Amino acid sequence: MSALRNRGIRPALLVGCLFLLALSVAGCSSGKAQSFNFKPDIFLQDLNPTSQGVLGALYVTIVISVVAQALGVALGVLAALGKMARILPFRVIANVYIWFFRGTPLLVQLVFFYFGFGAAHIWGWDDITIFGFFIPGALQAAMVILGVNEGAYMAEIIRAGILAVDPGQTEAAKSLGMTYRLTMTRIVLPQAARVIIPPLGNEFNNMLKTTSLIFVLGVVETYNHYVILQGLNYRPFEAYAACALWFLLLTTIWGFIQSRIELRFARGTATGSSAAQGPGWRARIFGGGPQVDEIGALGGH
Amino acid sequence: MTTPMVSSNLLGAIGGVPRPDVDVVVDARDVNKWFGRLHVLKDVCIQVKRQETVVVIGPSGSGKTTLIRCINHLEKIQGGRIFVNGHLIGYREAGDKKKLVEDKEKNIAAQRQEIGMVFQRFNLFPHMTAIENIIEAPIHVRGMSHDEAMVMGRALLERVGLAVKENVYPNQLSGGQQQRIAIARALAMKPALMLFDEPTSALDPEMIGEVLEVMKELAREGMTMIVVSHEMGFAREVANRVVMMDDGVVVEEGTPDQVFSSPIQERTKAFLSKIL
Repeated sequence: MSALRNRGIRPALLVGCLFLLALSVAGCSSGKAQSFNFKPDIFLQDLNPTSQGVLGALYVTIVISVVAQALGVALGVLAALGKMARILPFRVIANVYIWFFRGTPLLVQLVFFYFGFGAAHIWGWDDITIFGFFIPGALQAAMVILGVNEGAYMAEIIRAGILAVDPGQTEAAKSLGMTYRLTMTRIVLPQAARVIIPPLGNEFNNMLKTTSLIFVLGVVETYNHYVILQGLNYRPFEAYAACALWFLLLTTIWGFIQSRIELRFARGTATGSSAAQGPGWRARIFGGGPQVDEIGALGGH
Repeated sequence: MTTPMVSSNLLGAIGGVPRPDVDVVVDARDVNKWFGRLHVLKDVCIQVKRQETVVVIGPSGSGKTTLIRCINHLEKIQGGRIFVNGHLIGYREAGDKKKLVEDKEKNIAAQRQEIGMVFQRFNLFPHMTAIENIIEAPIHVRGMSHDEAMVMGRALLERVGLAVKENVYPNQLSGGQQQRIAIARALAMKPALMLFDEPTSALDPEMIGEVLEVMKELAREGMTMIVVSHEMGFAREVANRVVMMDDGVVVEEGTPDQVFSSPIQERTKAFLSKIL
């Protein structure tokens, strides 16, 4: 990617060119009698947010993403601290956790912990109602497994963030009589956040898209909604195009929010004036400039 | 940069009263420390009495910084005992042989509340304003109310001549200003002892004066201080004693006049000839 960017080819442009190329190739090879089979009215009907189930499916996607990401950050902090702990069992637990969840496919984790655990009578994922909200078992499993998986990746990002904080800060905090817990919560983690926020934003972008995998649990989120829809009207091109556009909208909006958050976290820091601002939302969406991956590379996986 | 207005009493700003109950604040006995195979402190003994200012000098690598870091247990020691106000620092003695066992983290943190430290690189918290840096530990460690801490914090800022910088972040302050805030931050915990680790070494020459002025004021008011520094003017003016270290050993100690004007040891003479 960086090589392409250095030559000034913007990813969005590249994707656009490839798309046109594919269309023209498809047009030539099937040029006998079959023309391009696309019905705009069905496409618009599929895309229409007021048509049945679309908003609900988007809502499920967003809720699962937010809950899973929050769980991932919490577990990531614990695993990062565990990995750096002086006590050996903590280090072992953290390392095994990260090793397993980064070393197996998410899809396998989903079916194993949902269907596998259910069948083996380890954990049944029963439907529950909390504060009047009915949460089906599959939805619980989706949020928990995505979150636990995300935690393993967040652990590395958070560890890098903590290590980026000057050791002098810890010493200053200790010399004022702060305990480990106070030192971490008041001094180190707030400063690590500045390093963690940009890759965290990228992780959430990934999370929004990764939720499409939970269709295997039977949860009707955005992707599954369109799988079902194309099964009913036999128009996969229109359905999946609409599906892709909805995801694109979600990640685009998120890109905008992300750049705002990064600006806010840059205040009062040594690099606050320019460097920590990172790329703007335009650069984030359309590419451009080699600076995009600099911070993200810290926690890249 | 003008010299700060250190008009009235620095300790008065925080209501700190020297505690007369223990006469010897720091009592380090036969301290030994290794970094791996490197023996950095060799049977070091040092005593500091209440209200005394001790300046530690010596070439780099002589162990002077390590020594004061051991006094608030930022470094572990492998032999000897360090007492501050009569309390063994960082360790407890276990068993009949009185072997050193590292103390609980909570106890060490409690001991450090009594020992202020000022670092060469200031180490202010960059995500907090000047006043927030000062009131952080009083509120979260001592449990002081926010209002009470603000009153004390403002008084301290006033005393180090930076009242106007109350809501400024450290990256907008000069080195000298940052170090004065760092001193105020340490004083806010009302420590019985202040450790200074080369407090002016990272400063531009024109800023050294303002920091030394604050330290002199503190010494005159009777704060017990150990200062690792090569500022001979400061040592001559306020030090009760000068300790010369070399190669992990206390080579010589005495009044500033004795050590600077008529040193006994050859190593002291050699060192002084290089820096004076």
